Amino acid sequence: MNTAPVVPAVTTSPSASFLLWLLLLVPLLGGIAVAFLRDAKTAKLAALGIALLEFVLVIPTWIAYDPAGSRIQLSSSMDWIPNFGVHLALGVDGISLVMIALIGLLMPIVIGSSWADKLPEGRSVGGFYALLLVMQAGMIGVFAATDVFLFYVFFEAVLVPMYFLIGRFGGPRRQYAAVKFFLYSLLGGLIMLGSVIGLYVVSGDKLGSGTLDWATLTTVISQESQATQTWLFLGFFVAFAIKAPLVPLHTWLPDAAAEAPVGVGVLLVGILDKIGTYGFLRYCLPMFPAASKDLAPLVLVLGVAGLLYGALLATGQNDMKRFVAYTSIAHFGFIAVGIFAFSSQSVSGAVLYMFNHGLSTGMLFLVVGMVIARGGSTLISDYGGMAKLTPLLGGLFLVAGLAGLSLPGTNSFVSEFLVLIGAYPSRPVFAILATIGMILAALYVLWAYQRIMHGPVRGDALLGALKGPGAVAAPETATRQGIKDLDAREIAVLTPLVVLIIVLGFYPAPILDVIGPSVEATLHSVIPLGGN
Amino acid sequence: MVSTLWSNAVALAQQPPSPVQPIQPPSGPSELGSYLPIVILFVLAAAFAIFSVLLGPMVGPQRKNRAKTEAYECGIEPSPQPVIGGGRVPVAYYLTAMLFILFDIEMVFLYPFAVSADALGLFGLVEIFLFIATVGFAYAYVWRRGGLDWN
Amino acid sequence: MLATVLTAQPVPPADKLSAPAIDYGAIMPVLIVLGAACVGVLVEAFLPKHQRWPVQVVLSLATLAGAGIAMAVYLGDESTPKNGVITLAGTLAVDRPALFLWGTLLVLTLGALLLIADRSVEPGGAFVAEAAIRPGTIQDRAQVAGTGMQTEVFPLTLFALGGMMVFTSANDLLTMFIALEVLSLPLYLMCGLARRRRLLSQEAAVKYFLLGAFASAFFLYGLALLYGYAGSVKLADISNAAAGTDRSDALLFGGLGLLVVGLLFKASVGPFHTWTPDVYQGAPTPITAFMAACTKVAAFGGMLRVLQVGFESTSWEWRGVLWGVAIVSMVIGAVLGLTQTDVKRMIAYSSIAHAGFLLIGSIALTDQGLSGTLFYLLTYGFTTLAAFGVISLVRNADGEATHLSQWAGLAKRSPVTAAVFTFILLALAGIPLTSGFVGKFVIFSAALQDGMAPLVVIALIASAVAAFFYLRVIVLMYFSEPAADGPSVTVPGAFTTASITLGVIATLVLGVLPAFALDWAGSGTFAFQ
Repeated sequence: MNTAPVVPAVTTSPSASFLLWLLLLVPLLGGIAVAFLRDAKTAKLAALGIALLEFVLVIPTWIAYDPAGSRIQLSSSMDWIPNFGVHLALGVDGISLVMIALIGLLMPIVIGSSWADKLPEGRSVGGFYALLLVMQAGMIGVFAATDVFLFYVFFEAVLVPMYFLIGRFGGPRRQYAAVKFFLYSLLGGLIMLGSVIGLYVVSGDKLGSGTLDWATLTTVISQESQATQTWLFLGFFVAFAIKAPLVPLHTWLPDAAAEAPVGVGVLLVGILDKIGTYGFLRYCLPMFPAASKDLAPLVLVLGVAGLLYGALLATGQNDMKRFVAYTSIAHFGFIAVGIFAFSSQSVSGAVLYMFNHGLSTGMLFLVVGMVIARGGSTLISDYGGMAKLTPLLGGLFLVAGLAGLSLPGTNSFVSEFLVLIGAYPSRPVFAILATIGMILAALYVLWAYQRIMHGPVRGDALLGALKGPGAVAAPETATRQGIKDLDAREIAVLTPLVVLIIVLGFYPAPILDVIGPSVEATLHSVIPLGGN
Repeated sequence: MVSTLWSNAVALAQQPPSPVQPIQPPSGPSELGSYLPIVILFVLAAAFAIFSVLLGPMVGPQRKNRAKTEAYECGIEPSPQPVIGGGRVPVAYYLTAMLFILFDIEMVFLYPFAVSADALGLFGLVEIFLFIATVGFAYAYVWRRGGLDWN
Repeated sequence: MLATVLTAQPVPPADKLSAPAIDYGAIMPVLIVLGAACVGVLVEAFLPKHQRWPVQVVLSLATLAGAGIAMAVYLGDESTPKNGVITLAGTLAVDRPALFLWGTLLVLTLGALLLIADRSVEPGGAFVAEAAIRPGTIQDRAQVAGTGMQTEVFPLTLFALGGMMVFTSANDLLTMFIALEVLSLPLYLMCGLARRRRLLSQEAAVKYFLLGAFASAFFLYGLALLYGYAGSVKLADISNAAAGTDRSDALLFGGLGLLVVGLLFKASVGPFHTWTPDVYQGAPTPITAFMAACTKVAAFGGMLRVLQVGFESTSWEWRGVLWGVAIVSMVIGAVLGLTQTDVKRMIAYSSIAHAGFLLIGSIALTDQGLSGTLFYLLTYGFTTLAAFGVISLVRNADGEATHLSQWAGLAKRSPVTAAVFTFILLALAGIPLTSGFVGKFVIFSAALQDGMAPLVVIALIASAVAAFFYLRVIVLMYFSEPAADGPSVTVPGAFTTASITLGVIATLVLGVLPAFALDWAGSGTFAFQ
């Protein structure tokens, strides 16, 4: 009943597989080394160097991947715990390759944006960058693992550096936010552990000895009964829904994003949360096609609920970082709708959105961070007319915002459009509801932009900052007094994002070509069941 | 779940009777009769105890003094401050009692050994000396560390 | 009539007794440990005070090494039977699980012994000089200041170890009971030997003794009922008797119930856990480490053997009850752990939750259940050993600073200690790349295989709840500002450093490369004879 994929599941290509190991080990070892650097400047430079090296390594990986080739490429595998059939197995398909590329791209930007951050007193600079790099290694591992056990290890291991990054370097309520983040994720992880063990046990019943190899499991588990699939699916789904986050399980994200340092927040909403949607694609759909198909309406409802709820709350937010977090929740709802609409356009659109969201929301978060760095307050009501003082920052805020609301010509537009046209034939109601979300996006983005950047110069933060030695309110003196426009470093950090947002808005083919075959292969397991 | 239970039950029912036959509990009146001497012993012992307890107050003189009302009338003075209901006994007393029990039990083991000494041969001899030695170690410890000093 | 009765008595045969066959190679580790313990008593008796400590330390460490070598020689011998030997007239079963547990006990005792031997963290060691001195008196204050200690701790530890080793390999219930007493009595005593907070320590000792005596009585009662049922105290005979007879089930299950209560008490499984927090808190920390690591190994080792050898054939009748016990234990440990304000008590409640997990593995009566539980015991022992090792380092003028508020901002004052303790807490929470995660994985997969899915779900939720109180300590250490009059972290001496290093490295290695230990844990099953 399950028509086999056209291409072989996994091929081993040892020639280039070392690239993935390099991608994994460079930031890990680099991070450990940076932790021991006492001098702040050296630590920053070393971290930036490692992140740039990592980005350079992504390029040959991208080239070595052949979109027309087999499902999983650059794969390599060695025994780890033979007792459980667990391997140290890495490999990428188009979807994970795109995500790894996003990590490689965002990391130098994050480090560059954190360059001038004032860490809380007594915290070491080396520690901050070491944790960032270790987290990068963990995230690469999550996307590159082709063994469920290994995936789970990275999935959980990423929590620890993130927990310390928020808890040690975050805002005033960082303890609360860090613990909430960790507990939510750990709870999800433990529920998923139940399912991972379930996979091992079920495959053991089927094959004689249990395995956690992803490729084997997709063929074995997808043949299992509906009930088995549903239970196992739910375990994975809850973990990914917390991670993504889908609506009833989202409450940790606004707190974590609001308290995290800006660079960490970028990683949090830009990449870490994508693990959830990536998990839907990589694990839920191929391994539990029957359950995915069955429960798709539930996920679609949650996705649309998140889309609308996130949009409404974003509209009402006064805290800028929470504002970005709620826009993210809306976008993740959108991605979930795209994935569970089960058409190749909608899933391609969702994957493309995962990449684009990293760029656009990442940039929005960075820009918001730059605003906060100038005014010292995170509240929208403390600002007003800022574009008069910092025209360049205002303009880039608008670019990021427009990308967030998917204006045609920006990268997000392509992905949202694909999701909507893909979802409409099979799920018209959800597609229409999602369109309402797009309209709300225009509302919250533009309204926030207007309040912060336009009108007369006002607000406690700006006026307070202006009240330097001689209190003045004229824009031309303000630039000299305290509020300066973007400096060279900030421009350098934002430029690549602006370029990519616009280029991919007109020419998304490089990404779509890479993810296309993988999306088709993912849907192969669901569509024969009448998923579409 | 239920089916597992059932298959377990069936499997159990199908198992052949166990090859190891444990000691059969005694059955029937004639077997029970073998316990009669023990019953008689219990009755006799109880009767003797009751008889002695009752006889003492009836025939003995009733001259009480302080020493006689102590909890342990064995010549050892209780600790200086008597607490309500009888006063304390020096801890050394317990130590001695403990040592006494220790050697008492050693004796208990020596008797059966003596009965089977022939059958056990050299092994038994070595074993019993090891046993005596272990008790001796404890004794040596008490002795060397001043457990037998009465100050 | 009396005469006829008396003459009817058959005269028992005079000598059916003969020397039992003894496989000295198999039991050599136990003989070495118990023999050395006796030598330790003689050292106490005949050596002057100042020589005792060095001699005892050398003797104890040499004993552990010797026992380890004896075990390695036995295992390496080609002629050693793979499925174990039953020796000493059927009282001891030296099979693969027993040898695994012996090895575990020896290594964990080594770690605990290193903590016990340390005299630099607390000047003079964690033990009182004269336990008989009444707390609060002038002499008591003087002995706190002095550097003497009761070196009897060393032979007592060895006796307890010997008892534990016998306990895990006892093939009949009577031997098991005697081993239970041999392992318990030294522990009761050692609990009362803390140098500081004498009253708390003595309270712990008395509490442990009284409740332990109850538990022993339960065990003995159960033993008697089972003997009445099967006519034998051997586990295999009980199992055979239970399979397909029409004897009174009341005796069997009454006996099993009482027996298991005794075992659950020793293993500090809730609801038989009430002694655990008080005793863990009051006992000298090295002894707490020894109890938490080794007693748990011994108790669950014994429980595994009793359940798998003695009662597997009737498992579907009693397993439901132990399901309930496991749930209660996990819930009590996880929920009450949340409210604790003392680090030692917190780890005690964590141990109760872990006991629930171990019980899940123990009642999965499969080979996976056995090997999983064995592996979990090994990993948990190392982690908890290191945890108490670290706790012993955080001190102020009054001794150990175990109140959680005193741990605030520890990372700032002592980053290494805080990092090590964080790692240990993450291992207790079961985060991947620590041994705690692999342990959970093996236990839960065994349980799932044996059809205990609901129990696994509850265990996972309990793990999540328990993670909160581990996290709380990490939050305190890393994210809070240090208290003004907070404790200082003592620079550990060589012994404590070695012990903590042992625990931490084992926790890491068993988390990253567990294959060899899993192989060993799964290398054989209990001998049934």
